Amino acid sequence: MATKVLPTREPRSVRRSLLLTLPIALWSALMFTPGFAQANRSQRIASAITIVFMVVLFFMMMRTWTTYRWRRWFFVALGLLFPVGFIHTVMVMRGTMGIPIEEMIAGRTPFCFLPIPLLILPAALTRTLVFPGSILPNGGMSGGGMAAMAAIWLAVTIVVGKGWCSYACFFGGIEEGMASVAPNAKLRKLDPRWRYGPWAVLLAMVLLSLALFEPAYCMWLCPFKAVSEYVAARSTVGLIQNGIFVVLFAALVIALPLLTKKRTQCAFFCPFGAFQSIFNKTSVFDVKIDKTRCTPCVLCQKSCPTMSLTEESIAKGETLMSCMKCGACVDACPKDAAVWHIRGTEVAVKPERARLMFLYAAWAMAIMFGGSIIAQGLATILHLFV
Amino acid sequence: MRTLMAKLGYSAAGLTVCAAVLAPFVLYGMFTKGFASLGLHVDEMYSGGPKVRTVQAAGYTIDIHRQVSPHMWQREKPFVQLDWRPVSALPAHVSELVDIDGDGQPDVRVTFDVPRDPKAPLRVNVDSLNPRYEAMRNVGKQKFSDLIVRVDDAILVRVPVAQ
Amino acid sequence: MLDLAVATPFAFGEALFLGLASGPACVASCGPVLVPSLLAERSGLRLNSRYLSAFLATRLLGYLLFAAVAWELGALVSLPPSARSLIFALIHVLLAGVLLRYAYAVGRACDHACAGSELVTIGGAGKHRITGAAVLGFLTGVSLCPPFVAAGVRAAELASVLAAVLFFAVFFLGTSVWFVPFAGLGWVRRNEAVTTVARMAMALIALYYLYAGLATLLRKSTYGY
Repeated sequence: MATKVLPTREPRSVRRSLLLTLPIALWSALMFTPGFAQANRSQRIASAITIVFMVVLFFMMMRTWTTYRWRRWFFVALGLLFPVGFIHTVMVMRGTMGIPIEEMIAGRTPFCFLPIPLLILPAALTRTLVFPGSILPNGGMSGGGMAAMAAIWLAVTIVVGKGWCSYACFFGGIEEGMASVAPNAKLRKLDPRWRYGPWAVLLAMVLLSLALFEPAYCMWLCPFKAVSEYVAARSTVGLIQNGIFVVLFAALVIALPLLTKKRTQCAFFCPFGAFQSIFNKTSVFDVKIDKTRCTPCVLCQKSCPTMSLTEESIAKGETLMSCMKCGACVDACPKDAAVWHIRGTEVAVKPERARLMFLYAAWAMAIMFGGSIIAQGLATILHLFV
Repeated sequence: MRTLMAKLGYSAAGLTVCAAVLAPFVLYGMFTKGFASLGLHVDEMYSGGPKVRTVQAAGYTIDIHRQVSPHMWQREKPFVQLDWRPVSALPAHVSELVDIDGDGQPDVRVTFDVPRDPKAPLRVNVDSLNPRYEAMRNVGKQKFSDLIVRVDDAILVRVPVAQ
Repeated sequence: MLDLAVATPFAFGEALFLGLASGPACVASCGPVLVPSLLAERSGLRLNSRYLSAFLATRLLGYLLFAAVAWELGALVSLPPSARSLIFALIHVLLAGVLLRYAYAVGRACDHACAGSELVTIGGAGKHRITGAAVLGFLTGVSLCPPFVAAGVRAAELASVLAAVLFFAVFFLGTSVWFVPFAGLGWVRRNEAVTTVARMAMALIALYYLYAGLATLLRKSTYGY
C-alpha cells in the first residue's frame, strides 16, 4: 500500500487557517443572520456568540490539524444547552416536565430522533405511527412535527452517517463532558462484549414496540427523559418507569463515564446508535489505520470513547461499524497511522484532504442543527440578564 | 481501476459536501414533504380516531368518533371518543343521552361537571343503555381507553366498548 | 350450534382465512420470543428450520390443548377478560423464566460445541432433554393472543370438540405461513456478536414479560397511563 509523507504537526499558518475557515464563517452567517430581524436582543446576542464559537472552533481544528478536542467543546455545549432551552420551553408552555395525557391525545408530544428505528416496522405493516405526536406542526410542544425531525435525521445521516453521534445528537454531550472530567479512568477493564449492548437493546425494543404498539424504549428505558420530559406518572407503574430512567441516567450518563472515561450510554446502551451504525456502511467518509505505519501501540484503542477499535480491527486497518467519527483515535495516534479516509481512495494518501471534506460537511450540519439549539439555550440564559 | 475508484470516492465526497450545503434549503423541505405524503397516521389510541358524526345540542356540538380497537398486545380496551365543544358554551353540569351508533336509540348517558378552572381535574360517569358500551363510575384520565380530559376548547370522553 | 357436516367446508375455509389474516399479528406477538431465540441458535438453514418446526409443532399442541380443554369446559366464550388476563399473566411469568434459562443455556452450549447440530436444550439430561424451541413454542401457543381468542370464540360455536380442534388446527396452519420466512435467519452468520446480542435481547425481553406478568397478577395496571 502506497503511503505519502504526511504533513508535519507544526501549526498551520494563521493565514491559511483563516482561509480554510472562511467558508464556515460565511455558512454560519447564512444560517443565523436571516432570523436577526425578528429576534429579540438576547436571541441576537446568543446567535452572535454561537457564530463566533463555531467559527473559532473550526479555526482551531484547521490551525492545530486536530479534530477531537475542538469538536468536543461544541458537543458538550450542545449537550448542556439543549436541556436549558428545552426544559425552559416546556415549563413556559406546560408548567411541568411531565407530559400530561391531554398533550399526548392532542398530538403535541415533541418528537426526538431516538424512537425512529422503533416506528419503522409498525409503520411499514400498518401505516401507523406509534408515537403520540403530530406529523406536521400542531402547536404547543409539537414543534416542527415528526416530519421535520425525520427530515433532519435523514439529511444529516446522508451527510455524516454515524457521525450523527458526534455532530448532531443533543444528548451525547453530557456524557462526553462527564468522560472528560477525570484525568484518569478508575475502571479500566471493561468486558468488550458490552459493546453489543446497543444492538441487543435495539432488537428487543423493535420487537416489543411492534408487539405492544408503543415506543417501548421511550416508555421504559430512555435515560434522557431526565433532561427533557417524561410521561407524567398517573399510577405506581408510571412511577416505576420514571424511577428507571433516573437510575439509568445516573449510571450510564453520569457515573460510568466519570469512572471509565468512555461514553458508556452511547457505547453500551443506545439503540439509536446501533441503528445509525448501519449507515456507516453507506457513508463515504470513514477512519482507517495505515498498517504500514501502525506499530501497534493501541493508543487509538484506548482513546476511543466508544471502544470502536479492537486489536483485530486495527490489524485489518479499520474501525468497527460503531465508529462515530469523533476523531479521537486520529488525534491520539503518534505515528499518524489512524487517518481520515474517503471510500475508494488509498489509505493515508492525502488524509488531510479527506478530513477537510468531512469537516466541511459535518460542521455545516453541526451549525445548522446543533448551532441553533446552542443559540436557543444561550438566549434562554441571556434573557434572564438582558 | 485504482484511479477510477479514487475519482468515484472524491466525487461522492464532493456530492456529500454539496448535500450538506443543500440540506437546509432543499433537502429539508423535500424530506419533510415526502414524509408527510407517505400516508401515515398517528395511532388512533392516541388521536381518538376520525370523526364520523356530529350531534347538535343547545349551543354546542358532540362529535362522535369511529370506534378504536387496540392492536397486537395493547392492553387498552376498544373505545369510542365523544367530544363536547366548545367548552365555553357548556353548562356547569352536563348530563346527556348520546346515540353513539346512530340507530336512533340512546346508547349511553354521560354525566360530568364543567369546572370554571380549566386546569381542574374532570370526572365522568357513564350509564350504559346498550350492553355494547361499558359503564364508567367517577373515571378520570388513568387509561387511554376510558377517560375524560379537556383538550383545548373541547372535553373528550372515551367510552369503552364491551369485549 | 352448527352441525359438523354443514360447518366443515365453510368453517374451515373461514379458519384458514382467519389464520392468514391474523398471521402478521401472531408474528408480532411471538416475535419477541421467536427472533432472539432463533438468532441464539447456531447458524444453518437446516438447524433453524428444525427450530422453527419444533416451535410451531409445540405451538400447535398448545393451541389444540387449550381449544379442547376450553371447549369441554364451555369456558372459552364465557371466560371473562379478567380471567383471561390472569392466564396470560402466568404464561408471561413462565416465558420470562424460560427465556432467561434459554439465554444461559446458549452460553453453555457454545462453550462446548459451537459447530454442533443440536438445538439448544434448557432442561433435563440424556433422553429427557427438552429443547428450548419446544417449550417456547408451547408457551406462545397457550398465550391467548388476540387472534387466538378471536379464533377461540368462533371455534366454540361449532358442534363438537373435534370440530373445534380441527378449526384451530386449520387456523394455526393459516398463521404458520407467516412464520416460514423466519427460517431464513439460518443464513445469518453466527458469531460471538450475534449470539451475545440475542442473549442480551432475550434477557431484556424476559424482564419485560416478568414485569407484565407480575403486574397483572398483582392486579395493577400494566401501563403508567
